[in-house]
Amino acid sequence: MIEARDAIPRISLLWLLAALLLLIVPHVVRLPVWVTVLLFSCMGWRLLIYAGRLGFPGKLLKISIVLVALPLTVMQYGAAGEGLDTAVCLLILGVVFKLLEMRDRRDILIVIALCYVLAMLGFIYTQTILATLHAIVCFILITATMLSLYRDDARNTFKDNGRLAVRLVLQSIPLTIALFVLVPRVSPLWSMPLPVSSSTSTGVSDEMTPGDITNLGRSTELAFRVSFTGDAPANEALYWRGLVLDFFDGRTWRRAGSTLQTYQMISRFPTDFRGVPLGEPVSYDVIMEPTQQSWVYSLQLAEVSARDMVQDRNYSLITEMPINQRYRYQVNSYLQHQTDLQLAGTQRARSLQMPEGDLNPRTSALATQMRAAAATDIDFAMAVLQHFRELPFYYTLTPSALGDSSIDEFMFTTREGFCGHYAGSFVYMMREVGIPARVVVGYQGGEYNPYEDYTLVYQYNAHAWAEVWIEGEGWVRFDPTAAVAPERITLGVETFFQDQPGFMEDAGFSMMRFRDTQWLNTVRLRLEGLDYAWNRWVVSYDENMQMELLGNWFGDNARRGLLIALVSTIAMFFVLAGWFLLRHGKVTRHDPATRLYLNLLKELARSGVPRQRGEGPVDYCSRVAAQRPEIAMQMSEVTDLFLKLAYVNKVNMETLQNGSNADFRRLRLTCRQLRRRLMTPLRRLLAGARLVP
Amino acid sequence: MTSIAAMNNWFSQRMQRWLAARVPAVSHVRLDRRNIFILPTGPGLLFLAATTLIFVTAINYILSMAFGLAFLMVSVFLLSILYSFRNLQHLSLRGLGAEPVFAGQEAAFVILLEREGERAHEMLELRFPGQRWSHADLLDNSESRLSVFLPTAQRGLVKGPRLVVQTRFPLGLWRAWSNVDLAMQCLVYPVPVAGPLEGHVLASVSGKSEASLVGTEDFHGLRNYQAGDSLRQIAWKSLARGQGLKVKQFVDNADDRLMLDWAMFPGLSSEERLSRLCYWVLELDRGDIDYGLRLPGLEIDLGRGDVHRRKVLSALALWNGSKGGQGDRSA
Repeated sequence: MIEARDAIPRISLLWLLAALLLLIVPHVVRLPVWVTVLLFSCMGWRLLIYAGRLGFPGKLLKISIVLVALPLTVMQYGAAGEGLDTAVCLLILGVVFKLLEMRDRRDILIVIALCYVLAMLGFIYTQTILATLHAIVCFILITATMLSLYRDDARNTFKDNGRLAVRLVLQSIPLTIALFVLVPRVSPLWSMPLPVSSSTSTGVSDEMTPGDITNLGRSTELAFRVSFTGDAPANEALYWRGLVLDFFDGRTWRRAGSTLQTYQMISRFPTDFRGVPLGEPVSYDVIMEPTQQSWVYSLQLAEVSARDMVQDRNYSLITEMPINQRYRYQVNSYLQHQTDLQLAGTQRARSLQMPEGDLNPRTSALATQMRAAAATDIDFAMAVLQHFRELPFYYTLTPSALGDSSIDEFMFTTREGFCGHYAGSFVYMMREVGIPARVVVGYQGGEYNPYEDYTLVYQYNAHAWAEVWIEGEGWVRFDPTAAVAPERITLGVETFFQDQPGFMEDAGFSMMRFRDTQWLNTVRLRLEGLDYAWNRWVVSYDENMQMELLGNWFGDNARRGLLIALVSTIAMFFVLAGWFLLRHGKVTRHDPATRLYLNLLKELARSGVPRQRGEGPVDYCSRVAAQRPEIAMQMSEVTDLFLKLAYVNKVNMETLQNGSNADFRRLRLTCRQLRRRLMTPLRRLLAGARLVP
Repeated sequence: MTSIAAMNNWFSQRMQRWLAARVPAVSHVRLDRRNIFILPTGPGLLFLAATTLIFVTAINYILSMAFGLAFLMVSVFLLSILYSFRNLQHLSLRGLGAEPVFAGQEAAFVILLEREGERAHEMLELRFPGQRWSHADLLDNSESRLSVFLPTAQRGLVKGPRLVVQTRFPLGLWRAWSNVDLAMQCLVYPVPVAGPLEGHVLASVSGKSEASLVGTEDFHGLRNYQAGDSLRQIAWKSLARGQGLKVKQFVDNADDRLMLDWAMFPGLSSEERLSRLCYWVLELDRGDIDYGLRLPGLEIDLGRGDVHRRKVLSALALWNGSKGGQGDRSA
């Protein structure tokens, strides 16, 4: 039998179920269906226990549920090796199972503590404004649950609990913000199992089979957002370089070996292998959407300072871990540059690699013939671009399928394709005649958001182009797609393709569909801007940003300043909150007559005649009369009435309140007149509203 | 006594002395920052543990919003100190004393809670250390009365120990409490124990007239129950012995006076005698008889009625050896 003191109030259970339901909903999409069903049945069962329709489950049933559910979960996730997802799933299951054997206060307190942890788990997957608001609402519900355990029955209602929980949270927010800004951020304590989300990798892949990239053209998902310090370069300069694909097997372009193992990092090369920057850099800040891949995008030639990122021999930026969260990095790019003036042997061999066998004889013949006609390598490359431009090549999102001789078929038969077809064929022709060349994949262009001053790059901006090594120049970028469809590059892909059937096919009812409607587009860009600002200033707030910000405030002594600021903030919180919360308590209750008299004393003190400590009303009255003869009459009247009402005959309170006591009415009137006389004009103006009878 | 127990003892004595100085015993105590203490509760520590877990996760996964959540929890934790404190602050307690009880019964000390500020006080819990909790609140009412219970074991004047006033409002994360000594006392009468008056002892009343009384244990003094007899006069013990429903009968109706005397119960210890005397006082009080009490060193004249009964019972409660002084015993 549970003692009344330990029993769970019924209302607490409803609060808890509401909180749990809200907490679980966002996870449902990730959880296996049977888990979801199990969760809701357990919660339903608990609700029925609450309603008195069902009893607590027996021991045997409880054990068998756990014995079935746990291995099943581990099996389901174990195959995919998603440690974190398993943990999340098990935690949710654990909390919900606990509901079915929650009998006293100790049990519910454990569930409540776990609920707070659950509220945090959502952030592992998403930290948007919406997710944050969701977490705050959950927090309020959990807090209300906790409140309901410690309240008197009279006040234990949904309205009272809810109101107090909201008040507690709102009053806590200023300190929360201060702590968020000021508490020193430290590097991860130990390396965690990677939270590889169950979603597959998105974005540009590290393989390109012509036809692949067209899928991206259908997606309106965001790839990354960039904000430039200063003006953004023109659209046609925005080649967001991702990976270099330098191995071709006849159908597919891929990287020659895994980046980190095969490639030596550029930092270990002698300086002359690095790019030579020319001119001033463009600096910008990128927030990338999670891709589950370990490379990021930048304008050539990039210079980064982030510690968790390196640049490989092909100037690609490689991260230590796959990007499973929004990821922020800063880059300086030298748009004018020279790279690899000397081409190392292995590099040259890779850039000249050709597939086994001679599958594309016609293209090979064409290349040889065109090279013979051209004076230099550059002339030859230009001639190939010219070839694309003059023959009826089409740039389309829905090209025909290609057979084994993919290059020949494209070059001579179908003549329609997306960037991958053009870049691949171009590089193939270069290599055919012994010019080192390679395919580069990444994004091109972007949409400028004028409201928040940054550029959005979407998945449909995905692009592939070529780099050709020219003696004396190093790697030079050629974009064969620009030769076929120059507007694709200058106007941007969305303008170019807006009428093509395949474009944005997957967007559904996304607001992207309505970009032609002016006001809707404005709303879209505004919302997008808000999300960006949130990510840039809140979600990405880390050690570096903290030091930067506090460096501005405290100069060199940022660390010490941080500590001082932190301590003083907490102290200030207590002083302010203490004053705010405790001040009302000190009011001693006076009867109405005394209140009037005391208010008058305040006014007299302001006007320069304060009452001395221990000075009685009569003495004070005579002193006021001496110092301020003009109010002597009224003052003595007030004093007489006050003494009469407050001391001589303790009058009935009610007669004072309803105004039926003549003395009191007289006192009120005189006090009011006197106060008005004492006030300065400004105060009279301010107090006017209060004093009007 | 082991050394640890000695140390505990020493410590608790020091604690009591310190408390006595800090929160002195007065019948009226106003709670403010001088006498309110506050410490986290078990659930509070659990809450902190959850916060720590969230914080560590935030560090390891570099989750800004999880940091935010952890900080929100810290803020709520800190803020609730003020809420808990405020819930006790400006609360005044007044000890209204306790009705006398018989040893072994629970003494109910009545406390008057008043609010001195305008704030409501929710979920106040009061008890004597180790006893059961009593709850009170001051929501719309500005004062509230409640009883706090203390079991008694021995007769005497029992001094109420320090009263624990606590609140765990709003979230149960903190326990704000005060140990107040309202200087309350409760008079504890001896346990009434039925016992025969040895033979037909005729106790002299004021040395002149005599009265006789029939003991309950004797068949002699019992008569069969008749309709209309007071239930109070039923001899429950004989009923229990299976001797039928009997009524205790007082023989000498002509002279309704009896002087109860210490000497009526020879061979018994003093506490046992007091218990028997107590029993007879209650019996006689119901029996419409004038009675008096004679203890070594103390004599109370014949009389009857509530006031007289209280006086006699008090004497029994407080009798302290032959001195007959006001014995002050703690329970």
